[in-house]
Amino acid sequence: MIIAVPTSTSGEKSFISENFGRCNFFYIYDTDTEIGKVYTNIYKDGQHGVGLRAAEFVLNQKADILITPRVGEKSLEMFKLSQIKIYECQNETVKDNITKFLNNELKELH
Amino acid sequence: MKQLLILSGKGGTGKTTIASAFIRLADAKAFADCDVEAPNLHLLNHDGQKESKPYLGMKKAQIKEDLCIDCGACQRNCRFGAIDFKAKYHIDPYACEGCAVCTLVCPTNAIEMINSIDGETTIFRGNRLFSTAELNMGSGNSGKLVTEVKKNLKDNLTNEELIIIDGSPGIGCPVIASLSGVDMVLIVTEPTLSGISDMERILRTAKIFKVKTAICVNKYDTNIDLTQKIETYALAEKIAFTGVIPYDKKVVELINSRRSVVEEDFSVSRAIKKVFISVTELLSI
Amino acid sequence: MQIAVLSGKGGTGKTLVSVNLARLAKDSIYVDCDVEEPNGLLYFKIPNIEEEIVYTKYPVIDHDKCIGCRKCTNFCQFNAMAFILGKVRVFKELCHSCGGCKIVCPAKAIEEKEKEIGKIKHGYHDSTEVFSGEMVLGEESGVPIIKALLNKVENSNKTIFIDSPPGNGCSVMESIRDADYCILAAEPSIFGLYNLNMVYQLTKNFQKKVGLVINKSTDDNLIREFAAENEVKILGEIPMDLELAKINSEGNFVSQISRLGTIFEDILAQALSEVSL
Repeated sequence: MIIAVPTSTSGEKSFISENFGRCNFFYIYDTDTEIGKVYTNIYKDGQHGVGLRAAEFVLNQKADILITPRVGEKSLEMFKLSQIKIYECQNETVKDNITKFLNNELKELH
Repeated sequence: MKQLLILSGKGGTGKTTIASAFIRLADAKAFADCDVEAPNLHLLNHDGQKESKPYLGMKKAQIKEDLCIDCGACQRNCRFGAIDFKAKYHIDPYACEGCAVCTLVCPTNAIEMINSIDGETTIFRGNRLFSTAELNMGSGNSGKLVTEVKKNLKDNLTNEELIIIDGSPGIGCPVIASLSGVDMVLIVTEPTLSGISDMERILRTAKIFKVKTAICVNKYDTNIDLTQKIETYALAEKIAFTGVIPYDKKVVELINSRRSVVEEDFSVSRAIKKVFISVTELLSI
Repeated sequence: MQIAVLSGKGGTGKTLVSVNLARLAKDSIYVDCDVEEPNGLLYFKIPNIEEEIVYTKYPVIDHDKCIGCRKCTNFCQFNAMAFILGKVRVFKELCHSCGGCKIVCPAKAIEEKEKEIGKIKHGYHDSTEVFSGEMVLGEESGVPIIKALLNKVENSNKTIFIDSPPGNGCSVMESIRDADYCILAAEPSIFGLYNLNMVYQLTKNFQKKVGLVINKSTDDNLIREFAAENEVKILGEIPMDLELAKINSEGNFVSQISRLGTIFEDILAQALSEVSL
């Protein structure tokens, strides 16, 4: 399965971004290959509507899981069109959050 | 580290005065002013070294004169009346919405989209850390700028226990941007019909973001009936009602002499202290 | 003749001043351009008010014709379109109605339909004609509604009072487009002064004639000093007054009380004479 995480710096040691739409990077992790890729969030400098672009990106990566602190109304509407599940992150690194998720220690957000 | 955001919906309710009082009472070492269209917090708190950076807002269209052949296609297609012709075609930067349609229709590629300087962000570094910004006229506040003000604060933090954010008025994107990462929102309202209607609109947004919310009523004695209405509403909606603050012209006198309202012991400072205690209890600090 | 009432800061008394002046002036029109939080109708209570919807355009995608090239989503400067789960999705509230997506689409798959962005309410309260603009919650810009409001009154011979939005952004600029005179409402505090200066710069930029009203006036000379330094006329001062605050908070006209009414009558007289200079 594919897990998406908005991050502030790049890589698995990064902390999760406080913002979903304005995060600096997306970390996309494939549990089958155990490989994580980092993508720069090119839309983060938009004035408005960045959450939607972030949702667009995450869904186009075919993510099954999103781990994030929170999600706005409009982005949530988009996520509900898909099968993606959203989990609330904890204040730790990406790697730790993914590990916690795989151990069923994270709560669903919506 | 806890983040407290203070919002009001309507202007003039006393949000900045109360935010400033809280900063003093908490001895907060880090705070931000996200009310960027009319920033006021710096007037009460600005010790430390100032560092400003230009803020690049939205992109606006600009015509490269040497490439322009005066065909007028840009003006015909601009839906915002931003292009006029006085000897040559010219784009009014105040009216330009940044849609870039003119760049699409220009046959000679004579139009480019340039990042305009919409204002500046400032950080004060001293005993305390203070982040703020100011917008140039005609530019709008945006989630982008609020996020930058908050980011500037965060990037410079060390170990602060409590961060206080003076939020933007209104209910739109800037307010939503100020909500990220916040542990609690205090809505400062006033007992007027307009104040109540704006308070209800903000509450809807805060609910979607699942942020802990509290209300306090400022200038409550200007209308006790409406104050009671607000308290009843808070109870029904299960929102913490943290108290009421009376109206006293001494507040303006203190502010104008750049003193905090909590420096003197009178009805207003006592009431604010009570609200502050309730809020800190809710924040569990 | 159009008189706009502005303040940099919210809660300074724009509506207080504009509704009371409109009420006192003979044969006047009151236009509430604060479309995000219009409060004028809380004062001008009008039973049979007419409503007119204000529309702008938004794109609608014909998914059968759409070839998924994403030229539209890539072009949109406002993030109002995204390609999600194989389809172009439009986010109406973010759309600025620029028409760009329709132009870039190679498959003629985009048509424009109308969406409601707000409404204009219209009616009469005694001898005052009232227009109030209201923006739909979630919309980005009130400017199209303000434009529509001003178009309604542009050919009128009556004295028009514009209740401008707070701040100094593009909505404020639009609201003073046709103004012959601007009344700046300010309160004598350092906040009030700072914001007054911001909005004063705006009126100067557009070369508007300007006068000041000091609201919640005290002994403090902050605003009087500003007026003297910038050679701006003070049209009048409204005192800090608990009775006034209570009457105003309930949406009633303070000018009905005789001791307060004379203050507004003087402000009106001064403003009218300044405009004709």
